[in-house]
Amino acid sequence: MIETDVLVIGAGPAGSSAAKHAALNGAKVLMIEKKSEIGAPKRCAEGVSKDGLIQLGVEPSSRWITSEIDGVRLVSPGGTDVWLTRDTVKLPEMGYVVERKVFDKFMAMDAARAGADIMVKTLARGLERKGGHIIVKAECMGEEFEIKAKVIIGADGPESRVGRWGGLKTTVKPKDMESGAQFEMVGVEMENPNALEFYFGSVAPGGYAWVFPKGKDIANVGLAVISTLTEKSAYEHLVEFAKNCPTTKNATAVELNIGGDPVGGILKKISTDNLLVVGDAAGMVNPLTGGGIISGMQGGVIAGEIAAAAIKEGDVSEERFAEYDERCQKELGSSFNKYMKARNYLESLSDDELDSIAKTFNESEFERISTTELLKVLVNVSPKALLKLGKLF
Amino acid sequence: MIVKEWCMYCGECAGVCPRGLIEAREINLVFDEENCKDCQICINCCPVRALEKEE
Ligand SMILES: Cc1cc2nc3c(=O)[nH]c(=O)nc-3n(C[C@H](O)[C@H](O)[C@H](O)COP(=O)(O)OP(=O)(O)OC[C@H]3O[C@@H](n4cnc5c(N)ncnc54)[C@H](O)[C@@H]3O)c2cc1C
Ligand code: SF4
Ligand code: SF4
Repeated sequence: MIETDVLVIGAGPAGSSAAKHAALNGAKVLMIEKKSEIGAPKRCAEGVSKDGLIQLGVEPSSRWITSEIDGVRLVSPGGTDVWLTRDTVKLPEMGYVVERKVFDKFMAMDAARAGADIMVKTLARGLERKGGHIIVKAECMGEEFEIKAKVIIGADGPESRVGRWGGLKTTVKPKDMESGAQFEMVGVEMENPNALEFYFGSVAPGGYAWVFPKGKDIANVGLAVISTLTEKSAYEHLVEFAKNCPTTKNATAVELNIGGDPVGGILKKISTDNLLVVGDAAGMVNPLTGGGIISGMQGGVIAGEIAAAAIKEGDVSEERFAEYDERCQKELGSSFNKYMKARNYLESLSDDELDSIAKTFNESEFERISTTELLKVLVNVSPKALLKLGKLF
Repeated sequence: MIVKEWCMYCGECAGVCPRGLIEAREINLVFDEENCKDCQICINCCPVRALEKEE
């Protein structure tokens, strides 16, 4: 039997961040990953904010940055463009489109350099509590074995089962799971290969479609839908979008990615005796954008620090871990609640209303886009915005 | 449950199964068929419609 202080299950960005920070704070850490290659295949459009990386102390590297983003193009269902670029508005620092296959490995290497052990192609299959520890049943290359740990950090992504094994309610309701499909394409005709493109409306019910540039004519072209709002699969919506969108209609796919994105907000309870969940497994995804890399890593920092401190104190009880729930709700959850309202509002708009908002937006003169100015535009077009969003601003 | 050849093992079905009956391995899906309540949630959420109920 392998023994460790902290066992991290899943080597995505959240798991690697948790493993790194638990190790930096003095714990003996093992991270296991069921796949043979960390980061592949990707389930992601690969957009990250510069601010987020800075806050995490992650040094940008040319090894995993594919493009730098300094603008956004929003496209309404009728084809009205709203450009938010440095020329037209004062934007905060934007971000990067990364190569997740490289980025995730880099983050795992960071965890290893901080002292964490890693086992790839190693699947967690279940757990039981025994004498103040957790025993995890694992499997690697046909061999079954057990890992005894004081604390388990479940960083097992949208397919999470670790939390459930430990008694947490981590099942994602279908209305809260965005179902995503994406092609990485070449021959994409972007007007600005440094701008992210977002397409709204019935093209992607419950979500949106995107074109995220990874080079002059290379981009992640994808969309996410809520399966309860459409008869078609995410893949069927994607094929239609890629065929009809002027930017992608002449492009060719070189990769297909799919995956679920839990957008229901942070779960009510994300820790119990000997166990924390983090990242997608804990719902640490921005409900409006579906972005979960940075927030998952922020959750990982908190999980790693608290797990290591609790072990030092000799108290890994549910009561001790209440601090984890509190910090995550405070540092991540409160902003997610606002984004959730914005998402619900966006979902309630018809294609016509989205078109009117885009047109009014273009007619307005902005020096700097503030939330109040944005709300004024929305209320002009659709008075229900005040009801649904008023309290946010 | 019939898992079609084009399943990509993304695990979305495992995340939404209310009973936690689906194990998404790297290149395999394992269902605990005995406890399946046939709610079809997993079938409907699959991004590539790779699941089919066994008649
Ligand atoms: C289509 C799509 C587009 C997206 N685009 C963006 C974007 O542009 N920007 C952004 O910030 N976010 C985006 N996201 C969300 C983002 O990908 C996730 O939020 C992020 O990957 C979460 O990180 P994580 O570490 O929690 O989980 P993951 O990255 O999913 O990692 C979990 C890891 O756990 C492993 N694992 C699972 N079960 C076990 C087990 N039993 N034993 C061992 N290992 C296990 C998995 O193999 C996996 O490697 C997107 C998601 C989707 C689906
Ligand atoms: S959601 Fe579909 S593609 Fe993904 S693992 Fe399940 S059956 Fe396979
Ligand atoms: S049909 Fe329902 S209970 Fe059965 S595996 Fe699918 S989601 Fe789970």
